[in-house]
Amino acid sequence: MSIEVRNITKRFGSFTALNNVSLEVRSGELVALLGPSGSGKTTLLRIIAGLEFADAGSGQVCFNGEDVTHRSAAARQVGFAFQHYALFRHMTVFENIAFGLRVRPRAERPAESEIRRRVAELLKLVQLEQFEQRFPSQLSGGQRQRVALARALAVEPKVLLLDEPFGALDAKVRKELRRWLRELHEKVPITTLFVTHDQDEALEVASRIVVMNEGRIEQIGAPDEVYDRPANPFVYNFLGNVNLFHGRIHEGLVHLGNTAFAVAGHDAAASVPAIAYVRPHEIKVLSRPNGVGSLPALIRYVNSAGPLVRLELERADDRGPFSVELTREEGRGLALQPGAQVYVELKNLRVFADDYSI
Amino acid sequence: MFALASKEQSALPGFRVTLAYSVVYLGLIVLIPLAATFLKTASMTWPAFVEAVTSPRVLASYRLTFGTSLIAATVNVVFGLLVAWVLVRYRFPGKKFVDAFVDLPFALPTAVAGIALAAIYAKNGWIGQFMDPLGIKTAFSPLGVLIALTFIGLPFVVRTVQPVLEDLEPELEEAAVSLGASRWETFRRVLLPPLYPSLLTGFALAFARALGEYGSVVFISGNMPMKTEITPLLIITKLEQYDYAGATAIAVVMLIASFALLLFINLLQKWSLQKTRG
Repeated sequence: MSIEVRNITKRFGSFTALNNVSLEVRSGELVALLGPSGSGKTTLLRIIAGLEFADAGSGQVCFNGEDVTHRSAAARQVGFAFQHYALFRHMTVFENIAFGLRVRPRAERPAESEIRRRVAELLKLVQLEQFEQRFPSQLSGGQRQRVALARALAVEPKVLLLDEPFGALDAKVRKELRRWLRELHEKVPITTLFVTHDQDEALEVASRIVVMNEGRIEQIGAPDEVYDRPANPFVYNFLGNVNLFHGRIHEGLVHLGNTAFAVAGHDAAASVPAIAYVRPHEIKVLSRPNGVGSLPALIRYVNSAGPLVRLELERADDRGPFSVELTREEGRGLALQPGAQVYVELKNLRVFADDYSI
Repeated sequence: MFALASKEQSALPGFRVTLAYSVVYLGLIVLIPLAATFLKTASMTWPAFVEAVTSPRVLASYRLTFGTSLIAATVNVVFGLLVAWVLVRYRFPGKKFVDAFVDLPFALPTAVAGIALAAIYAKNGWIGQFMDPLGIKTAFSPLGVLIALTFIGLPFVVRTVQPVLEDLEPELEEAAVSLGASRWETFRRVLLPPLYPSLLTGFALAFARALGEYGSVVFISGNMPMKTEITPLLIITKLEQYDYAGATAIAVVMLIASFALLLFINLLQKWSLQKTRG
């Protein structure tokens, strides 16, 4: 089922949590709502679920083109998973999962044998078959979240909404569950929307990412799209590591210290302050100037543990720090010692005029 | 538990000191006075004891005291839960005042409460004048006793349930609603079960308090033998007649009965805690 959100605004007192947000999620998609805390991503998710309602007169939420803006959460048939699981502590895993089936009106309630069959099926899906008689307090965090997902799936929701599903888990379990969630989505391809503040999680799991900030959507796109072509400095900063170079744009060239680089799209600008963004792996380190455009820099620190060589450098002109990642191959021919002078070539420079406040 | 017997090193020292203190303290404050009651009673002969604690007037007072105490505690469980719920879940003007009001029955001298209740529920009182034409006699009837006992027991339930209710995340309700549960199903299946232990505690406290209550009841009950005479009053009456052994005999029966009931409630609570562990 597709989800459409049109011009939704939500204020809490004087704080604007969502500012005229519109979003479309196609049927069967796995979409991440990514943003820092306070960006409105959870509020948007809760409005879609019907746990929160948009400001009066501000817009619509549609499922498959049908307006559900004023429908209750119970009537929307969405599956919702909470960051802290919200499992019913006095019920076993089995009863937690069966809850949504047991509370149905008598006429629609499945028979006990059917409930047993469904719960067993879901326990198998979340790989917790042997835990059905345990209580939530006897499970690990990752297991609890899987129970919460099974419980949400038990009512056969049209849409699955996950609020920071792995937020309360430790790093290793998070990684496992990311892969697990993607696999789950392949097996049960219902429209899924999940909130996260973890860029790696969004990039790894989602088929599309919605980047949010201060109640607005900054960019929507596939993971490689938002990573390689960020729409603005905020997205650049938020997704992945990035280096900032302060300089000026003048007639299609960006001047960083004494070096000028050609950049597209800024032909008309006449000497305005600018910030250039470069990812650490998009910088080439040279032992001598390349003649067309390279910045002199000093090596401050070298870390060659792991598959990549990480360098901390400092510009020779304004001493601005930046970092570089090289493969071991690339690093081999260079004398990488702290204090050594090198030259860097910036391969994929994105320049934004410096009037954008972050 | 075994630290007393063994000399193992513990990360939480001080067990012996605190245990010794607890035993001495409980002994001085609770056990010794109670033991004195039993000792005094022991000065009676067995037939005299049986005679003292099973006379019709005494039996009637047991029925009234235990009966109204149980009903009052039950009423308090229902309405105390409601009050606690409103205080925890809703915001409204004057909420702090309402919250403070709940404790008043604790603070008020019980005689004051009794006089006030008697005045209100008497035939010509504010509420009594409307009840009387309906044929409902409140003051000077068992119903009056029930009202007084309900009044003094309310804070126990509210104050034991309130913190537990505050700990129940609103997400639990949201989860239930998003799974399609109605308001009633959410209350019955999600909210109520975690509250059972605290409701039982509140019930036990309100019940125990009602059993021993004297001050507020004597004013509203009318103290008619066989009808509205509570056991604590009977004890006072015996004392006034210098029948100390007779008074302590009734006290001993009340003590044993209360202890048995409270122990039962505690076991029930332990059992319900196990069911709602986590």
